[in-house]
Amino acid sequence: MRVVVTGATGYIGSCLTCLASRRGHDVVIASRQRPSTFPASWLPFDLSSDNSIVFPINTNAVVHLAANTTYTNRLKNECELVAAQRLIKSSREVGAKFIFVSSQTARADAPTAYGRTKWHIEQEVLSAGGWVVRPGQVYGGELRGLFGMLVKTVQQLSILPAFVPTPKVQPIHVDDLAEGLLRIAERGDVPPGVYCLAAPEPISFSKFLDGIAKSRLRCWRGFVPVPVVIINALAAVLGEALRTRLGLERLRSLFDLPVMETASDLKRLGLTLRPLHSGMHPSGNDRRRCLLREGRALLIYVLKEPPGSAVLRRYICAIEQLRGGQALGLPRFFLGYPIFLSLLDKSVWASKTASAEFSWRLDTATMLAEATPTGAYRFLGLGHEHGVLSSLFSMTSAVACEVFWRMLRVIFFPLVRLALGRAKGAL
Amino acid sequence: MTPDFDIIIVGSGPSGVSAAFPLVNAGLRVLIVDGGKQPGVLPPEADFLSARINDTEQWKWMVGGDSHALKKRDAVSPKLRVPSHAYAFEEFEARNHVVGKNFITVGSLATGGLSNAWGCGVARFSAREIAAFPFPASDLDVSYAKVSQRIGISGRVDDDMSDYFGLDDYSQPPIPMDALHTRLSQRYLNHRKKLHAQGFRLGRSRVAVLSEDTASRQACNLSGNCLWGCRRHSMYSSTGDLPSLRKHENFSELSGFVVDGLTRYDGYWAVEGQTSSDGERRSITASRIVLAAGTLATTRIVLKTLNHRHPVPLLSCPTAAFMLWLPRLLGAPRMPGFGLGQLSFSLNLQDTITAFGSTFATTGIPLSEFVRHVPLRRRYGIDLLRELLSSCVVGNVFLPGHLTAAEAELQPDDSLSVTGKYCNAVVPLMDEAAKKLRKAYWSMGAVLLPGSFTIGPPGGDIHYAGTLPMRESPFIGETSQRGEVEGLDGIFVVDGACLPTLTEKSHTLTIMANADRIGRQLATVLAMESLHG
Repeated sequence: MRVVVTGATGYIGSCLTCLASRRGHDVVIASRQRPSTFPASWLPFDLSSDNSIVFPINTNAVVHLAANTTYTNRLKNECELVAAQRLIKSSREVGAKFIFVSSQTARADAPTAYGRTKWHIEQEVLSAGGWVVRPGQVYGGELRGLFGMLVKTVQQLSILPAFVPTPKVQPIHVDDLAEGLLRIAERGDVPPGVYCLAAPEPISFSKFLDGIAKSRLRCWRGFVPVPVVIINALAAVLGEALRTRLGLERLRSLFDLPVMETASDLKRLGLTLRPLHSGMHPSGNDRRRCLLREGRALLIYVLKEPPGSAVLRRYICAIEQLRGGQALGLPRFFLGYPIFLSLLDKSVWASKTASAEFSWRLDTATMLAEATPTGAYRFLGLGHEHGVLSSLFSMTSAVACEVFWRMLRVIFFPLVRLALGRAKGAL
Repeated sequence: MTPDFDIIIVGSGPSGVSAAFPLVNAGLRVLIVDGGKQPGVLPPEADFLSARINDTEQWKWMVGGDSHALKKRDAVSPKLRVPSHAYAFEEFEARNHVVGKNFITVGSLATGGLSNAWGCGVARFSAREIAAFPFPASDLDVSYAKVSQRIGISGRVDDDMSDYFGLDDYSQPPIPMDALHTRLSQRYLNHRKKLHAQGFRLGRSRVAVLSEDTASRQACNLSGNCLWGCRRHSMYSSTGDLPSLRKHENFSELSGFVVDGLTRYDGYWAVEGQTSSDGERRSITASRIVLAAGTLATTRIVLKTLNHRHPVPLLSCPTAAFMLWLPRLLGAPRMPGFGLGQLSFSLNLQDTITAFGSTFATTGIPLSEFVRHVPLRRRYGIDLLRELLSSCVVGNVFLPGHLTAAEAELQPDDSLSVTGKYCNAVVPLMDEAAKKLRKAYWSMGAVLLPGSFTIGPPGGDIHYAGTLPMRESPFIGETSQRGEVEGLDGIFVVDGACLPTLTEKSHTLTIMANADRIGRQLATVLAMESLHG
């Protein structure tokens, strides 16, 4: 498939072009400057220029991502509308699908010019039989776009505002969005119309910022309540130019976000979004982090001391090579206090497969732990005191511990069963 | 047309090289072909305990860079998990189209075959045991002597197992025992009479491991790396015999060639197969073919060539394993030592059956191998075994091969299907063995740990034999006393497939001796042929 992407060097565009060329599509980049790194064909394209654009023949789809995100004057907004009209015309000439990436704020009576412009373009696209995609709060990947700005803000401020009433956002990882856009471009069974792509359940903006702090930046941030009324009053006093410069315009469109009904659109595209805590991880998912925690817990349980980083890496590697690479999703309590893994014997698992998988991983941790110098001391008893008495004592205490944990297991059985039932992961 | 070679030997394992020596020495043009698998992971350089303490890369030979040991977690023997042996077993079943159904099927495509991962147990079949062979026992005597001297055997000592093994004439002195086995052996001597009355005899294991240096190999230095691979080559592997064969100009080798069929032409044969390097099909001709690909692979080649699609019987020894604890040595520090059989026993069961087994030190075996079977939580299982294992030895038991009811059958798709189960007699026999061993070792100051006596799965012995047995007057699917396949003149079987019986004893040396015998006979026949033009 040949796909032209405008705004291909931007936050979403760069993810989309990468994904499309990984899938073997012929990607044509339409941008102001020739990209220096990406090995794709290039078409000069500028939103504010009057020159018309001619797409290569055999273009199957045009994804229009280029946008003026600076929230500046109205003139530029009109340029955008004209540019979109030209693109629609050009794509119709070569018979290509036209896919426009709009905004959650798009509506006829949007409080911002940005939102209103998007709405106007949407109308043009829809009347030309094109596709409109309204993404939610895009996050993840490189620190660019609004997401990049938010991360930098969270990094700089140790106290963050918690707006009251709290605005709700519907996040979507940039890679998931790129996947959605590509599916629309690739598939013939997706009818034209408006597609809202974002998490179906809105979350509070503060929770989103907290996610940035905890999962992306791995730090803790405090929140101070800030009434929205104050911001609005301030905005009214300042006038549009200053509002825009201070970023209040963006904030106001945040307060005004309509909740999008996304579940049916996601289903239509067969798209499953990654959870926020996973997507917030710099690698795009927290799969490895979960595996790391699991490996650490199992290895501590076996070795009775924290494992070295090399053996931890080997655990992750082994699970990735042989077991599909997903963590079991053991309850957090066990990951924090590995000694309690003693409670997890065969009978506490709900299914035989869960029990078998756990014992496979415990065996793996045992074998990997043993194959280290630390393991040699622990498993062969090297460096320990030798003698009948000390051996007898150690053996007796091992048996005593066993008895102790068997009793605890009886007491905590229902609780452990419940906790394991709630665990989400490879189990 | 002159064929490419006088003889093509399929397989460079113990039987292949044993047949090759007399043929090459007779000046015949001999080609050995094999699957060509070569070692990838090197065993430790230092002795086992030092390597464990100092080698930060020990996971490479203990687990393997490709997680070999984890992939083979459920394999029947620790040996199959050892990364440095992975090459010896890999792809055998897939490339040879062997499928085990409720039966373990192991074989090798490596140069040197299964001898690369051999436990090195050797024994000579007694005259009574050879009675089932279609030739006089004396025919094998010369071969036993020749092969034993070539491969190097240790364990020569006048003890209660001397007659059972029958190898002391050709052996080096034994390799020193560890403290546990020394104690067992002393206690045995104190209670000898009583134990004899129980049908129990104990003596040094006879193993194909050097206790004295030879020209090309070094004696065992008790490094304890037996399971992982010996850099000194103290343990015999037929790979070590290839250099002396290569000195002969009339000897050729083709490695990385898996034979999948034989075709008869006018007066000669062609082996057909695929080279591993480029997947090219090749056909090489010879006037005689000697099959030494290992019992399972050889059986398939023969049945396919005969187009024989009826099941043939397969012999395989029922096995069990157990653990002994010597309380007097509790708290002993771990010491490096020999990792293969140190003491061996024979045990009479039900008057007619003899069980055979050996005991081994536990130091060179990972604790993970044992802890899985301990009914304690993992953390405390490790605590317990760490203290216990230094005063424990592990043992195995073999019963005669006719007690497994197994058969191999060529399928419509030309794969070889192997099925089988133990005969009903095995469980009571094993129960009796456990009871008798518990009693015998108890009087030797060792406790057979409760729950440790475990019967292995059928085929787990990897002693397969008897699918194409040598007979006085063979039927189709059998071989003559010269090892020649009935119905396929010029095709000879020299590996385990042609043994008419499989006793409880280690059978490798007998396979090698028989291969030597067939090789010598064949050399004579071919010499006569050339004399007569």
